[in-house]
Order: sequence, then C-alpha cells, then structure tokens
Amino acid sequence: MVRTNNQLPSSFRDPSGYIFNDNGIIKRRIFPVYFEQYKALKSQNVFNKLFDLGLLIEHEELFENDSEMVIQPKQIPFITYPYEWCFNQYKEAALLTLKLQKYCLEHNFSLKDASAFNVTFYKGKAIFIDTLSFDFYQENQPWRGYKQFITHFLGPLLLAYYHGAQSLKLVSNFIDGIPLKMLSSMLPLKSKLNPFLYSNIHLLAKFEDKHNEDYVGKSKVASLSKKAQFNIIDSLYDYIKKLTLKENSEWGNYYSKTNYADDAFLQKSNSINKWVNKIEAKRLIDVGGNDGAFVRQIQRNVEIALVCDIDNNAVDSNYKSIKLNKESNIIPFVLDVLNPSSSIGFNNEERDSFVDRVKKFAPDVTLALALIHHISLSGNIPFKMSANFFASFSQYLIIEFPKRDDSWVERLLNNKGEFKDYFEFYNIENFELSYSENFEILEKKSIVNSKRVMYLLKNKNDK
Amino acid sequence: MELIIFLYFDPGLGAMIVQAIVAAVAGFLLFSKNLLYKVKLFFGMVKYDNDELFDDIDVEDSETEAKENGENK
Repeated sequence: MVRTNNQLPSSFRDPSGYIFNDNGIIKRRIFPVYFEQYKALKSQNVFNKLFDLGLLIEHEELFENDSEMVIQPKQIPFITYPYEWCFNQYKEAALLTLKLQKYCLEHNFSLKDASAFNVTFYKGKAIFIDTLSFDFYQENQPWRGYKQFITHFLGPLLLAYYHGAQSLKLVSNFIDGIPLKMLSSMLPLKSKLNPFLYSNIHLLAKFEDKHNEDYVGKSKVASLSKKAQFNIIDSLYDYIKKLTLKENSEWGNYYSKTNYADDAFLQKSNSINKWVNKIEAKRLIDVGGNDGAFVRQIQRNVEIALVCDIDNNAVDSNYKSIKLNKESNIIPFVLDVLNPSSSIGFNNEERDSFVDRVKKFAPDVTLALALIHHISLSGNIPFKMSANFFASFSQYLIIEFPKRDDSWVERLLNNKGEFKDYFEFYNIENFELSYSENFEILEKKSIVNSKRVMYLLKNKNDK
Repeated sequence: MELIIFLYFDPGLGAMIVQAIVAAVAGFLLFSKNLLYKVKLFFGMVKYDNDELFDDIDVEDSETEAKENGENK
C-alpha cells in the first residue's frame, strides 16, 4: 500500500483509500480493493442520488488506472468536529447517518462504519464526507456500524439529555465514542425501565462485556434479517428525532436581556456593517458571536461566516435560525475561547486544533464583540496575549471594549472581591497600548448610551 | 462481490449478537406506535407539526425526481 507524505493524519484507518492534501486541495486516493464497491455505487446511481439530495459530499473523478483512482471532493472551507456541535447539530448528524444507512440497505449497500467524524456541516446542513464508507450489504448480516452508532451518536445525545448539553464535549476525550459500560452507568436507573434504552444501551453494554474476552468467538456468527435491521434503524430515528433538551435557552433572548439600548445595538451593527464593507471582507469569524445576531445584520454577501460561542444554547438558537431562514453561509459551532479545541488522536494529529483550522481558514476579519472583558477578567488573560491570539489568524479585527464603568465589567470586577485591585490594568489606555503592538488602530467609535467603544484594527504583520 | 472483510475496526461480537434482541424490541415499539397512531387518527386526535426542524428518515426516489423536474421547469 503506497502512502505519501501529504496523506492527512486523520485518514489512516480505512484500507480502501485515504485523503491527502495536494497543494491545499483535499483529494482522495482509492485503492483497487474498493474499486468494485465504487463502481457499483456509481453505476447504480447511488452517488448521484445522494449528491442531489445533499446527503453526501459531491466529488469528481480526476484520475484512474489499475492500481489507484483519485477523486476530488467539493472543498469544505471549515471542518467542525462533533465536540463542537450544539445539541441539534449533533441530532441532525445522527439522523443523517441513519437516513443514509436506510437508503443504503434499500439499495443493497450498508455503511461499514458510523463514526460521528464522517459528518460535518456545510451550507447550513449536515453532510456525510466519507465517500468510502459504503460497502455491499451481505444477506442477513447485522449492521457492523451499530455499536459505533451507539457510542458516537446515541450515547452523547442521551448524556446531553440527562446531564446537559455540555456533556457533548466529552466526545473530545473519547475519539472512538463514549465507552458503553461508562455510558450505561451514567444513565439514570429509570432508563432501564424504558425498553428502547434498555435494549440499545444497557443490554448492549452487557453483551459487549460478556463477549469481550471471547477470542475464539468468531465461529459464532450472528445473523439478522434485513427487515429486523430496518426496525432498529427506524426506531433509533424515531427516538432521536423526538429527543429535546430539558434546559431552557439561557441566552435565547439575550439581546432583550443585556444592557443595550436599541439605538446602541443599531449603532454597533452600523459600525460593523460599514467596516466590513470597507475592508471588503469575504470570510469572517465572530468569536463569542452568540446566536449570530450581529452577523445577520451585515448588509454584504459574506461568503462564509463562522460564528462560535461557548454557550451551547446560543449556538443552538443560531442553528435553528439557519435552518428556518435556509441560510447557507453561516457555520455555527461551540467554542470556549479560553480553552479552544485542541488537536487530538494518534500523534495528536488526527483532528486539528481550532487554532490550526482557523489559521488555514484565514478570515479577512474577526469580530470580538462583548468578549474582551470576559477574556481579560474572567479568564485573567493579559491584553498582550489576547492581542497575539487574534493577530495570529486574522488580518483585521473589529473589537468592542467595555470600559471600567460598564455594568458588566463592574459586575465581573466586583466578583473579584478583595483582589479587585489586581485588575487595575483593565482600562482603555492599557488596552490600546497592548493591542498597538500587533495592530494599527484604523477607526474608533464610542457607542451612545453605553460605556463601550468599538475599534477597527489592522494587523501590522499584513500577509 | 467481495466485502471489505479485513475490517479496520472491531464491530463488537456482543453488539452483533444483541441486534436480534434490539430489533425485536424495536419491532414491538414500532408496531405499538403505529397502532396508537391509527387509534388517534380514528378519533381525530392527530396533530400535525409543520415547524419541525427534521424530516422523515425515508429518502424517496421520487423526491429526487421531483427536484429534477422542478429545476427543469
């Protein structure tokens, strides 16, 4: 098996082929072992139908000979990972996987795995990105991806349901899904009375535990009719589709709760609008962008807007707006700016860190609105460090600075109690001084009826 | 027809065996759900929710054709 240096470290498990980076373009090499499957999927029009339905990432064939085939999938500008999805995104990814498996079975194929990393978000919806996950269906064989589906999808969704959406972050520690025994132990006792949960989680965990040591067990062949497999998939779909979070959206009506007068909101969004147009931004990221309210106010066709926030509910609310308005240029995700997703997996290279991905994405402008006081006062991050952070990936920065007498800042400072004096550095002069090392101040505007100032900054290390 | 048999991850023997039971439970649940639906339908108690974020599992072939036709018009 020939492997090259530019093979992506995320793509080594599947012997059917791998992903590689060809001068910045993502391509996929396919080996002869998968030719038969690939050709069947193509000739039976499965690929085309899935492309048309927007369920599978489209690709074109570049090259083919007896020993390899190269295809080029549509390029996705920014990959989000399962541990960065809000609850409903996670749900959509799970439902997409089941939908695909059902479609496959109907056409005598089957998904050979059910990893949550096979899905990402593009143009406002979940899309399957692993073109080589399809295999032939073998009569009466149970679904080989079943266990993976439970540990990658149903498990995390149930933990979010019982313990809050933050549980979804656990997936970053368990790259191959939540261990079944742990999952079973984390569900409340009453879940054992639910026949769906009992069979899909508790019984599965028991069976897996029992057969764990069974090294010669391969002789025992499990069989399952196709009809029975449809039942499993349909009931998983029904259950997951109905699953909703108990917690109320804390930030749902954020903008009616905060201390913005309406004209302040307008003035702020006018400045953003003017500046984003001035620098002709095509790609932007809104760090701490809440539910995307300010990005939606931008009167310019921004090609891609990444909107991230620490709060799962805010991201969920953004995601729902995207669905309802059928917006295709916003990619929402959950991110804690004080602890952004790190690179994980073998050799720490399978999944890229947020910083690596955002550097590659190279936004024209970064929005950091109502964020700096949280970074500096809640996170104790000095101005210089946050300036370095923003300067490492963005050409322009639109940042809002709430002054010391802003009500939020006062609240954060009062929380510090007797250590309040240690935060004397938090003032507008120090802010400007520190940020001037990395950025040039192009414009500055105070917002009426508030203690906040907006800045348009330009990176001094212009690329 | 050759399957990718040298599987690159362990599907779990227990998970393969347990699917027979999971399917039986699922079959029963789906059956009772359909029954309940029919009873509700009979008494006119079925509510339709148009605000759903997610659609049904079935991807009808006709859905694609309808889309193609729509685009051709």
